[in-house]
Amino acid sequence: MLPERNSYMYEMIHTELIDVLGKEFVGVRDADRFGHSVDYYWIPEMWHDRGMETPKADFICHPGCTEEVAKIMKIANQYRIPVVPWGGGSGSQGGALPVFGGIIMDMKRMNKYYGVDKESMTVTCQTGIIAQHLEWNCNKEGYSTMHLPASISCATIGGFLAHRGTGVLSTKYGKIEDMVMSLEVVTPTGEIIRTLPVPRHASGPDLTMLYVGSEGTLGIITEVTLKVHPQPEKREFRAYIFKDFHTAMSAGAELMRSRLQPCAIRLYDETETKTHVRKVFGMDLDQGAYLVFGFDGYSDIVDCQMRYAREIMENKYHGQDLGSKGGDLWWENKYKFFYPPYIFHVPQAYGTLDTVATFANIEKVYHAMKKVVNENFPQARFIGHFSHWYEWGCMLYARFIFEEDAVPKDPREAVALYNRVWDMAIKAAIDNGGVINEHHGVGLKLGRFMKYLYGPAMPVLEGIKKQMDPNNIMNPGKMGL
Amino acid sequence: MNIDNFSDVIKYCRFCFMCRHLSGIGNVTFTEADTPRVRASMIYGATLRPETLTNEDLIRTMYRSDLSGACRRNCVHHFDEVGLTLAYRADIVEKDAAPEAIKAIAANLEGKPEWTVSGEGKVAYVADKYSIEAGSADAFAKLASGYQTVKDGCCGKGLYVLGFRAAAKNVAEKFVKVLADTKAETIVVSNPAIYDMLVNTCPELGIAVPAKVMHTTEYLAGVTGKNLGDIYYLESDFLRNYNNDYTFPKAVLKANGANLKPFGTNDEESYSCAEGAVVLDKIEPELIEKLAKYIEARADHPESDVIAVASPYTKVQLKKYTSLNVKTVEELLAGI
Repeated sequence: MLPERNSYMYEMIHTELIDVLGKEFVGVRDADRFGHSVDYYWIPEMWHDRGMETPKADFICHPGCTEEVAKIMKIANQYRIPVVPWGGGSGSQGGALPVFGGIIMDMKRMNKYYGVDKESMTVTCQTGIIAQHLEWNCNKEGYSTMHLPASISCATIGGFLAHRGTGVLSTKYGKIEDMVMSLEVVTPTGEIIRTLPVPRHASGPDLTMLYVGSEGTLGIITEVTLKVHPQPEKREFRAYIFKDFHTAMSAGAELMRSRLQPCAIRLYDETETKTHVRKVFGMDLDQGAYLVFGFDGYSDIVDCQMRYAREIMENKYHGQDLGSKGGDLWWENKYKFFYPPYIFHVPQAYGTLDTVATFANIEKVYHAMKKVVNENFPQARFIGHFSHWYEWGCMLYARFIFEEDAVPKDPREAVALYNRVWDMAIKAAIDNGGVINEHHGVGLKLGRFMKYLYGPAMPVLEGIKKQMDPNNIMNPGKMGL
Repeated sequence: MNIDNFSDVIKYCRFCFMCRHLSGIGNVTFTEADTPRVRASMIYGATLRPETLTNEDLIRTMYRSDLSGACRRNCVHHFDEVGLTLAYRADIVEKDAAPEAIKAIAANLEGKPEWTVSGEGKVAYVADKYSIEAGSADAFAKLASGYQTVKDGCCGKGLYVLGFRAAAKNVAEKFVKVLADTKAETIVVSNPAIYDMLVNTCPELGIAVPAKVMHTTEYLAGVTGKNLGDIYYLESDFLRNYNNDYTFPKAVLKANGANLKPFGTNDEESYSCAEGAVVLDKIEPELIEKLAKYIEARADHPESDVIAVASPYTKVQLKKYTSLNVKTVEELLAGI
């Protein structure tokens, strides 16, 4: 329980934090506290938009090293103060919101880049580094993390680790959990630990994977070693229009089943092809579903893979070839969707119903979610694309959008409407074999679905949390824990 | 209010993170408040509760932006968060709510001595405090002849960025009159802040500038024959981000045998020490020191690299806080 801001106990805690970090790095200004009270989750954005007060942390701490993180954890345990790790604050699930006050542990000051180990092709850095800054550093040495999500410019590497983030080249290079070698972590009780230095071993369950995706509920990841890759000699994309979404999905799944190694595949349903793809690329696309894929690596291997892929697309599924120009356009504009005014924004109500499933289930999930949204919320639009493809299935990036006049003016009613959409759509996804979710994480938004998703396995997660964080100070209220 | 002219920025920037990595001040203070998103979001909140528009914390935050314009350049639609910040400052001044420290800086700028003119010629060279201190003015003297020197006054840019627009206009009119009285056909400046004042801000304030304005690197474009070798060039925010990637500094360096090497890890961030904020060194000097150290940490070989700048301001700040070997483009061309 936190003391009142005007109490001497508040000042006692403030003093202890300053003793660790120095006054400059313990923020208590209104501006700092406000800046860490709204992330990319629709509800706090709408809440602020309607003039409502957003829950704020009491202290914004900017540690400069792992030892400082550990000291703050010990203080927080002493006084039972919530600690919420904060990276770039660009999460869409409310995972970094200080809903119970306490300490925001803003990690961005821990942004040291330790360089590439060229022999092992790994890079080590502190986790507060913004992903774009890490990528630029690697590029300067001739390498790439190949972790290139739309949020690369704002999210930290720690944020991606905490939420199992994914970049646009995930199909070949994997999600962040496939890239990570090892971690340094500060536990909830303030101990500093390191996980094993390699990700493939037979030395028991993998501790690294316990922390990746734990969203700050089990500790704070302070340092990471990631795989890096040489820059490819060639990267080429190609796009097709298929008569409908089902045919395009079949072609994409066939491409993955062929065990060719595309670096990326995107499939936009008919609605999103007609609206977003057309608007952003300026392409004349009135009907059908747009599919784009690419290969990278040595030039002759890219050419060879592309030849086989074209056979699948053109001969088996009769896609209309938009050429490599139609594909390169997507690559060049891949982040443009996320800039205003293309990106959805308040006063619209919108959400990304990120779900992942096997190829056997993914179309069922798509249709089930679409049906739920269309039938129960006729005032909403439903669009979708399929973003991250693996050997066994892919991710559905389904979205619902309410225009301003369809969103209740009362913020409480707006929250209720918003949550109803999530309740119905997510249950429909899970009931059809979907998993929430592929890369946005759980946070505050989806915590209430964790029991439904995990069923009898949920107490295992709860037990781990209880054991590791006995005072429940780490990011309380998140992930349903 | 002036901020009403930036309703699109308030509407969109407060929901956008896409330029977070380019927040000059945000990258050295690490606080969210020092980013375009949160500044726009706070201004939005203040529009809902106008009594909070003059909140002390909000004012402080809005007066410590580096105004680099890197965000606007990066943005697909070039939303002008810099413009919003400047508009807010103007509103604060119009409400007489500027902090006393800001008012004192403005009074000092307004009270600067009149410009003096010496020499003869059809070219007027503006030698402001930074151009003299950084050595640009002396270097220009070695490279050019037959020009008038307009020296030592205030052009109004500092007042403008602080939000004192009426005072800025008043000072700028006097400055432009001095320039007009020289009857020069070409005005040459070393300081990109003055270039931007004459090219963009004066027309915005309704002041007609009587002659063609050039940065020294444009005027000296014909200088060739040097063999400058490896050079790291730090962009000027005013020339790159405010004036459409003004190409002359790099062009003249290349024409003189410079092998331009990429500084740091990218060509998107600002490495100018808050040139766009003009007088941030008077408001929160510790931030300028942090920015300078940030730049120094990105040099390949801090002790030996030759670093060229088109902004005398940037050279002065880097010399003050780092051991980098910084030279203005004019100095390099003059062999200094």
